[in-house]
Amino acid sequence: MMAPPAIRTILGAEVRGLWNRLVKRGATRLVVLGALLAVAIVVIGGAVFSLGDAAAQFLPMARDAMLAGGFTALSVLMLVVGFPSVIATFFVGRDLLQLVLAPVRPVEIFLARAVLAMTANLLISGILIAGVFGVGVGSDASPVYYALALLLVFVIVMVVTSFQVMVMSLIIRWVPARIARDFAAGVAALVGVGFYLTWNVSLRRSFGASRVPDFSNLAAFAQRTDWLPSAWPGHALSAVIAGDWSSAIVWTLFCLAFGVMLVGAAGILYQRTLLAGLGLFGGGQAVWKRAPARRPKSMASGAGSPARAIARKDWLGYRRDIRRLSRLLPALLFPVGYALTLIRPSRTLNGLWSDVAVAAFISMFVSMALAVPSIPSERRGFQLLRMSPLAMSEIIRVKVALTLPPVLALTMLLTIAMAVVGGVGIAELLQLLVLVIWLVIGFVSVGVSAGAIDPNFEAADDRRAVGLLGTMTSTGGAIAFALLSIGAFALFHLGAAAATGARLGPLPSTPAVAALIAGAGALLAAAAGALVVVLLVVANSRLRAYEGAISST
Amino acid sequence: MAASMNPTAVEARTLVKQYGATRAVDGVSFQVGRGEIFGFLGANGAGKTTTLRMLCGLVSPTSGQALIDGFDIHGQPLEAKSRLGYLDEEPFVHPHLTGREFLEYIADLYRMPRGPERQRRMERLLRLFELADRDGELISAYSHGMRQKIGLASLLIREPSVLLLDEPTNGLDPRSARLVKDLLEELAARGTAVLLSTHILEVAQALCRRIAIIDRGHIVATGTMDELRAQAGSEHASLEDLFLKLTAGPESRELIERLLAPNS
Repeated sequence: MMAPPAIRTILGAEVRGLWNRLVKRGATRLVVLGALLAVAIVVIGGAVFSLGDAAAQFLPMARDAMLAGGFTALSVLMLVVGFPSVIATFFVGRDLLQLVLAPVRPVEIFLARAVLAMTANLLISGILIAGVFGVGVGSDASPVYYALALLLVFVIVMVVTSFQVMVMSLIIRWVPARIARDFAAGVAALVGVGFYLTWNVSLRRSFGASRVPDFSNLAAFAQRTDWLPSAWPGHALSAVIAGDWSSAIVWTLFCLAFGVMLVGAAGILYQRTLLAGLGLFGGGQAVWKRAPARRPKSMASGAGSPARAIARKDWLGYRRDIRRLSRLLPALLFPVGYALTLIRPSRTLNGLWSDVAVAAFISMFVSMALAVPSIPSERRGFQLLRMSPLAMSEIIRVKVALTLPPVLALTMLLTIAMAVVGGVGIAELLQLLVLVIWLVIGFVSVGVSAGAIDPNFEAADDRRAVGLLGTMTSTGGAIAFALLSIGAFALFHLGAAAATGARLGPLPSTPAVAALIAGAGALLAAAAGALVVVLLVVANSRLRAYEGAISST
Repeated sequence: MAASMNPTAVEARTLVKQYGATRAVDGVSFQVGRGEIFGFLGANGAGKTTTLRMLCGLVSPTSGQALIDGFDIHGQPLEAKSRLGYLDEEPFVHPHLTGREFLEYIADLYRMPRGPERQRRMERLLRLFELADRDGELISAYSHGMRQKIGLASLLIREPSVLLLDEPTNGLDPRSARLVKDLLEELAARGTAVLLSTHILEVAQALCRRIAIIDRGHIVATGTMDELRAQAGSEHASLEDLFLKLTAGPESRELIERLLAPNS
């Protein structure tokens, strides 16, 4: 009997492994996961589809720019988001060592791995497919359009994946071994942030203070990038919509030829660097070479402090773990981007409420980025904390206390900047700052709790350090806390207005009404506080009961 | 009971651990006295690590009690943990710290007084384990044996009265392995209770005053070498022979013959 081809064997083992992992999760988790996925597909896919449909109908002249820009934007997203997956699939993993030792040709390893690596990018491309189909429906496109769209999305995924392999192969050749992987992840993250900020600034200029949006900046930005190969599928599809079949065929052939060229080049480069890559990545984690540590001062006295020990360890870890740093940088840069985009006179809100919305969003974003992984990022070292004479509540308290200062500093800085730009008065600025302090304490507590409720100490990086339940808790908890807190803030404002005799629509402005409104505000604030306390208590109890196996990886 | 008055340093009282339908540990009981090195042997998957993890509080028992110096590790965890040092077969370390920083971290975590005495002790340990010259090198760059050494040093820096060690000589070169064995004997002589889990039966036979053998979650024999021989009915048997006899499966010779038989 003939042995099955190596590619089928490799993929079969991966599929079997995936299946086993899914089955191990249990029926309930699978159903919840499936339901969430279905909701996400309907909500996100539906929204993007509707957007594409509406844009194609109302801006027929911009269809080509939209499609080309959409393909480019998704390519950048895949390039950044999918990069760690590509690195892991092609260059990391002890199973690769097994494949290299087996009588399997490198090209077979490359092709099998390419299929695996593409699955992550294919998931992301689902968003693009929804948008492209929306544009098709809004343009009354022929069935050929949809078939070609699927083919071209597949090609662009292949192109992006191959490009990532090529970049990594080149990095392996030129960048010192010990920092190659982290260097690549850092570059990808910064490129992504750069594109995102440029995009945000274009959007900001499009939706300025005037009542009519001005899309010229956005269109100019899209035009500046439409020569990129990632835009070619968009040109092919817009040609199909316009009935220009010859252009459509030429652009499609360009795409296919470019795809084949890139896959071929990536395959050749990969074959040449496979062993080098395994040499670099098959071993321990990449580290910076560093100067000998300064000896701690021997004259320090007093009892050792666990809080100080954890703080110092976390600080050193962040400084030296380039992978964590490369994840953290975008999280810190994004709020600056948001602030740039959102700091402007609002058409619908007065300055204070516009700033409340932005401050709430920024504090939530930064808190979640720093607080949620703070406990799971202990990884195997968490067992040291469990074995030490420290109560779990103390560990949670320390993590909250350590996460608060950077989040508070960044959020307050941006809030003050917004208030100054928006011309908010001193009294209102002080109110804003009190709200920000309240929000940051709440968000950080919610984030740390969520990480403690569902930690994955075996995860190799922070993005996978929290499970589904933790992610849902952090998102749901933060949104609920924000709504309750901002609701309370609004009621306090309304109560203060009632007390000064200001007009409140149908409500009479009397001291009794003012007290009633302020009381309702206090209730909401208490509910927000109670939510945080409940989450902290649950987190404490979950950590105390935690006994999941922590592997040696 | 006051800890210092208690002659028993470690006590497992009918420990049971159930994972779904599987009973990984089934009614394990034993005691380790002060100054005793107690061997804990078993085949792969017999329940050794689960028992050790129950004793050090990383895993909650389904039923039963684990006492360290008389303190229930789950009922009075802080008191018990401050007296206990556990070394996993893959030591828990922070890869982005240097060895010295890691020892500082552990010392602070256990609230050891800072100052010259602590520094001197740290230096002595780093020199003892030949890690002093590795200053500036992160633990992530350490070999397995070096991680094992820094793991041991992190236990010894705080002088626990009870040591639970899971394969402490795993990955160590012969010189370092000998050092660890001598160290354990010296610590036991000074009153430290050592519970040693190992696959290296020669180490167990040489070091341990008493030995327990666990098989499929049950303790099948406990005692000194002579007592084990008596239990197995083999007067001059080595620990290896006793172990194989007490954890009876098909004889290896029989298995090899079956494997190599034509048309097997």
